[in-house]
Amino acid sequence: MKKVSIIICALALGFTSCKKFLDVNTTPNNPTSVPPSTLLTTTTTGMAFANANDLNRATSAIMQHIAGVANQTAAYDVYALDGAFDNQWNGEIYGTTLQNLQVLIDQYSNSSPAYSGIAKIEMAYVYSMAADIWGDVPYSQAAQGLKYENPRFDKVQDIYQGNATLNITSLFDLVKSGLADLAKPNNVLKPGSKDDLIYGGDLTKWTRAGNTLLLKFAIMLTNVNPTLAQSTISSVLTSGQYINSNTLDFEVPFGSSVGNRNPIFDFNNNLRQSDQMLSSRLLALCQSLNDTVRLAKYFTKPTGSFVAFNNGSTAAVPSLATRSKYNIYLTGAAGGEAPIRLLTNFQVNFILAEAALVLGTSGDPNAYYQAGITANMQKIGMTATEINTYFTNNPTVVTLSGTTQQKLQQIITQKYIAWIGNGIEAFDDYRRTGYPVLALPLNAVGDNPNVVPTRLPYTPNELARNPNAPNPRPKTDVKLWWAK
Amino acid sequence: MRRHIFCLAAMLCFALAAAAQSRSITGKVTDKNGAPLPAISVTVKNSTTGTATDKDGLFKITVPSPASILVFSSAETETAEVSVGSQTFIAVKLNSKSGNLQEVVVTALGIVRDKRSLSYATQNLKAEQIADKGSVNLVGALEGKVAGVNITGASGAAGASTNINIRGITSFNGNNQPLFVIDGIPISNDVDRTSNTLFDNQPANRAIDIDVNNIESVNILKGPAASVLYGSRAAAGAIIITTKKGGKAGGRTEIILNSSYGQQTFSGLPKVQNEYGQGLGGVYNPQSTSSWGPRFDATPTVANGLIVGGVTQNYKAYPNNISDFFETGTLIDNNLTINSGDAKQNFTFSAGYTKNKGILPNNDLNRATIKIGANTVLRDKITVGGSASIINTLQNGIVGGNGASALGVLAGLARSIDLTSYKTNGTYKNADGSNNFLISGVENPYFGAYENTTKSNLYRFIGTLNVGYDITKWLNIAYRLGGDIYTDRRKQVYAITSIRNPGGQIIENTVSRSEINGDLMITAKKNGLFTKRLNATATLGQNINQRKFQSVFLQGDGLTIPGYYNINNATTLTNGSFETTTNRRLLGFYGQFSFAYSNYLFLELTGRADESSTLPPSKSTYFYPSVSSGFVFTDALKIKSNVLSYGKIRASYAKVGRDADPYLLTNVFVPAAFGNNVAAYSFPLILVTGSIPGFSTSSRIAPVEPLSPEFTTSKEVGVNLSFFKNRLSVDLAYFDQDSRDQIINVALAPSTGFGSKTTNIGEMTNKGVELTLNLAPVSTRDFKWDISYNYTRIRNKVISISPGITSFSITGNAFTGSIPSIKVGEPYGVILGGVIPRSPNGQRIINPATGVYQPTVAGQVLANPNPDYSMGITNNFTYKRINLNFTFDFTKGGQVLSFTSGLYKSRGVWYKTAEDRESPRILEGVIEFPAGSGKYIPNNIQIPAQTYWQTLGGLQSEFNVYDATVLRLRELSLGYDVPSEVISKLKINAIRFSIYGRNLFYKAPNAIFDPEVNTQGAGNIRGLELQSAPNARTIGANLKITF
Repeated sequence: MKKVSIIICALALGFTSCKKFLDVNTTPNNPTSVPPSTLLTTTTTGMAFANANDLNRATSAIMQHIAGVANQTAAYDVYALDGAFDNQWNGEIYGTTLQNLQVLIDQYSNSSPAYSGIAKIEMAYVYSMAADIWGDVPYSQAAQGLKYENPRFDKVQDIYQGNATLNITSLFDLVKSGLADLAKPNNVLKPGSKDDLIYGGDLTKWTRAGNTLLLKFAIMLTNVNPTLAQSTISSVLTSGQYINSNTLDFEVPFGSSVGNRNPIFDFNNNLRQSDQMLSSRLLALCQSLNDTVRLAKYFTKPTGSFVAFNNGSTAAVPSLATRSKYNIYLTGAAGGEAPIRLLTNFQVNFILAEAALVLGTSGDPNAYYQAGITANMQKIGMTATEINTYFTNNPTVVTLSGTTQQKLQQIITQKYIAWIGNGIEAFDDYRRTGYPVLALPLNAVGDNPNVVPTRLPYTPNELARNPNAPNPRPKTDVKLWWAK
Repeated sequence: MRRHIFCLAAMLCFALAAAAQSRSITGKVTDKNGAPLPAISVTVKNSTTGTATDKDGLFKITVPSPASILVFSSAETETAEVSVGSQTFIAVKLNSKSGNLQEVVVTALGIVRDKRSLSYATQNLKAEQIADKGSVNLVGALEGKVAGVNITGASGAAGASTNINIRGITSFNGNNQPLFVIDGIPISNDVDRTSNTLFDNQPANRAIDIDVNNIESVNILKGPAASVLYGSRAAAGAIIITTKKGGKAGGRTEIILNSSYGQQTFSGLPKVQNEYGQGLGGVYNPQSTSSWGPRFDATPTVANGLIVGGVTQNYKAYPNNISDFFETGTLIDNNLTINSGDAKQNFTFSAGYTKNKGILPNNDLNRATIKIGANTVLRDKITVGGSASIINTLQNGIVGGNGASALGVLAGLARSIDLTSYKTNGTYKNADGSNNFLISGVENPYFGAYENTTKSNLYRFIGTLNVGYDITKWLNIAYRLGGDIYTDRRKQVYAITSIRNPGGQIIENTVSRSEINGDLMITAKKNGLFTKRLNATATLGQNINQRKFQSVFLQGDGLTIPGYYNINNATTLTNGSFETTTNRRLLGFYGQFSFAYSNYLFLELTGRADESSTLPPSKSTYFYPSVSSGFVFTDALKIKSNVLSYGKIRASYAKVGRDADPYLLTNVFVPAAFGNNVAAYSFPLILVTGSIPGFSTSSRIAPVEPLSPEFTTSKEVGVNLSFFKNRLSVDLAYFDQDSRDQIINVALAPSTGFGSKTTNIGEMTNKGVELTLNLAPVSTRDFKWDISYNYTRIRNKVISISPGITSFSITGNAFTGSIPSIKVGEPYGVILGGVIPRSPNGQRIINPATGVYQPTVAGQVLANPNPDYSMGITNNFTYKRINLNFTFDFTKGGQVLSFTSGLYKSRGVWYKTAEDRESPRILEGVIEFPAGSGKYIPNNIQIPAQTYWQTLGGLQSEFNVYDATVLRLRELSLGYDVPSEVISKLKINAIRFSIYGRNLFYKAPNAIFDPEVNTQGAGNIRGLELQSAPNARTIGANLKITF
């Protein structure tokens, strides 16, 4: 009746008396405010999705964990990278993930520092991922909406080390600021089992994750700032507060319901089942190390033996049903619920092995090395017997020997196998150390078909819309600051 | 000839009556097509008694005796004399003096006008130009006939939408489809989308609900000057549809039965080769999607894969495996119309049923319409009228698009696959209902067609109510109320094991729209204002408009029981489910002042103020004016020439405002989601411990400055000329439109964390020429030949977007690598993608290591979908009772990127890929030599044919961008009117029999397929063929019986 009278009123009298008639522009479709718990679940999942989706496919193909056999993955396989990754840059890193991390930091630093502390650690993880993949990226001015409409591309060295002149906080200081927030006693709202998808609200575990992130950052600097790397690692070792058990791994859960599955499963087993499979290069490596029991945890053997494909080959692709594809460690037994592992115990051990070897931090490199292999084998579900058998039968593989470089090669090669399913980590280590040694794919194209890409190309949208983006973009054979 | 009484075609009988007293006679004067003729002088012969017809052609006069003779005359028509006799109602048809100069058209807000007095471009189409020509969709029926209009159908699938833009695109992100108005009330021509337009079933534009049989005339209001009274809604022009009314038959009851039957076949796919079958590198591989295998006549060997384990493989060509997938469609159209009453009291009833089985399997469109309408005049002063239509439209379609769809797999199907047997044997699915196909991981096209379906079931009500009151002779007040309400219930299913949704999916989508529109109009007319020669009309009006939209979208994923499509079969209901509800209201006040001096100088001023609910209060009221003037110089200067019979020049200036979409003014949060069609995530996260929500700040930032309306300013000049006693008439217009302050979600650098901000910014221009030409080369009593020709040339240019932003993508779905975009300096809608780098001489650069092209540089203009010009020509021959009518249209330029063509090449299916296949090729291009020298030599690197064609077959490559130039025989119809003496004994007034053909022929010199397709259908995205249905060709017959 009210509506009718309003309409009649409008008909008869015109609009001056009928403001209400036009007052219908309030959306019923979306909320205008939400609690921080609903943002934290988003950023945590976004961080993992970014790590495991297309950037992972590209780097896994470049690193020859997998061979792309159709569509985008096949293009990445031969370094045809230009024009890709808008979705990742726009929607998985800067949009949604960093966008909402910034909201959590801006709005809850004072009232609920537990949220801002977690947000800073996640933010540092995500920015480091972007900087390691692309090099100079928007950082100090990014993800702040209209405050900086054309964010500056900060230099990688400034992102890692900070730059007071340019008002750039280093990644290390960002993490430390997060750790300080976590230590603050009073929180109006606190993350709990429902919204802290990783640690269920246990802030001491977040402290360990933050410190582990410092280890990861530090080891990236072995070529360019060993002093900072050494001091950071020593300090974390002294604290003892880092991920030192598989149960503490920093990993993001996914679900097996449609729409909740991890992107490795959703691509590989659901929406793009025919696009990628085991690389014959990885198969050859694992065979040379007698390591196929472990490989079978990562890749399936539908025919009873591995069916792999050579990177870049144009030969006929084996029938879908016979191909070796990602196994349940990465895809989940029920389908899609395997967590996305971002910081792990095995990773820490390999970092500490390398640090002890090249930076002289405390501990025995070989002990960390073996602990890393063991932690990884346990993590992927090898039995104690299988692990013992491998160690017994392959003493030269599991024992560091030779020159420092040879030992480093052993460490990074084992890390490379352990990171199957996370191409970004393998790609980072490869560019930093040159290990494992990769042969070019067949029929390579791209900016420089003769060089394994040293970075991914900037994305078309950012290049088109941000005058501060380097234009023309650096080619994919230009090394990053921290590279070897 | 001059005195020919031939024109009194519909005279009633001459019965004499003895009564010799004066009495009142009413009647109606129409043109030969039945359109009312206003301002016709009606006098009693040899007396001073006289009157004139009103706007509906009606008159009333008192005659002294039955012997009186009435004389009907005007400057533009031939004169007729009619004996009164015993008649009380006299219906008269007058021929125009020659040609159809005196043209009455329905303009904005239903105002009927003499075309001579209009100073802006409109174009009128009559029923016979639209109906019985094999187009179910009204918009499609306009193709080739209207200057200044671009029309492109999505495809030949039944119910696929058709895009229409009048005088180019004026809004970056707004709706650029014109406003559709039926009998004075605006209706929806929206395309409601249920799924991603890259992969959907091509849902209809809602003008498809209009039964073309029931249309009396269509008038296209082209520029803002013509449509300004409709306000914001008609910023993109307006299509004014007038439906058939009762009372035409002058008191009689007229029953018209119209029935037609047609057949449709597909048309316009690339030609295939049948020399090589499935495989790669000359080796047979039954898992390959390509036809790079051995020749069919090759000797089977182990090496060529034709002998496996000692067994010779079955390997032969199936030349029709693609074409046999398409079916013969049928088009059945039946309509019954009853018109009764006279000009004052009349009634109309119409019922129609249209059944179109499409050219695809499992694709059809069924439409049932019922309409009743009545008008009455009370006490000679009050007119009351109304109509109600109920429409039920069912559309059943199959999803298309790249990859895992029936049409995606069919595009470039390997030549040795026996696809038809899957249908005839029903083996496209296994016993458990799962997909079965030779190639693992690929969907059987028949599985896609029969198991993954989209059904739409729409009920629509369109109602109008008009009340008018003649307060005095010169003052009329009228109110018109209209409602257009529909609900479309859609169900889209993907079967378990479908490739796009292996777990199966059910989508229940209910879309409702309702539009209520009310217009109050006060019209005053004064003839002889200040001076005898000045006639003036003033109209003041108020408009109220409300549009509501609701889409309830329930998505069920993870089905358990195959083939059972109840939402309770789904294991996840939260993935993608949503509801969108919008409501927008508008209040408008407007005035129009028209002056005619001596019927040769015309001036019209209009103004409209709108207040919109979608704009902030400080900016919600906006005013826009128009002024137009016309000068009939032949009359003014008394030019009497046998060559130049009529001449008018005209000019107009208009501005029209357009409001925003609802709810743009506030920042909101949205459920968080990641990914795209290859991997996707959406909240809530369902864990065993419960369901966990996730939200995100919207990627759009609400306006910081108050949002104001966007404006298009139009300047138009035109000339109308008639020669040789109107045997040749020309209407030429030039327009220049400037659209500013676009309300856009302007793209932000993604590193800001946000995708866009809503603001007023940007400018775009449209300049164009329109020409229509009507010629009657032969006009004798028995034989008539009429030609009508139209030409359109529009140049659109994006002048600016926002500082620092040189391009951004058009709102909608797109594949990375071929993104429909707005780019400064380019026309609207260019497709941006990767282009191969060129040498300084413009030659493509080859990679010396591989012999194929260097990697593309992203973000370049790949294709421009805007045509250079288009034209249409209709020839109409009438010889006695036989009528032949055909329309050719020609579009020059415009480009389309074709995924289908790409696959035909890369998969070795196109006929040219078989030519000399064993010989190596050299791609056209240059090599930098020596490397780094900046000097280039011609490419001399030989590559296998397979590599060559795979290079040229890249889906998003420049090699699959085609010039869309196309000449088409759009329509042809041949009709025969059965002589009345044959049928009068059967109490039948008329029988007309006709045959028709549609799209009988096309010639696209620069494309390997019919380029007039537009996969994403009506909307702002054009120029992409993404493996949707090809076009259809229709041939049929039509029978019309009038009782």
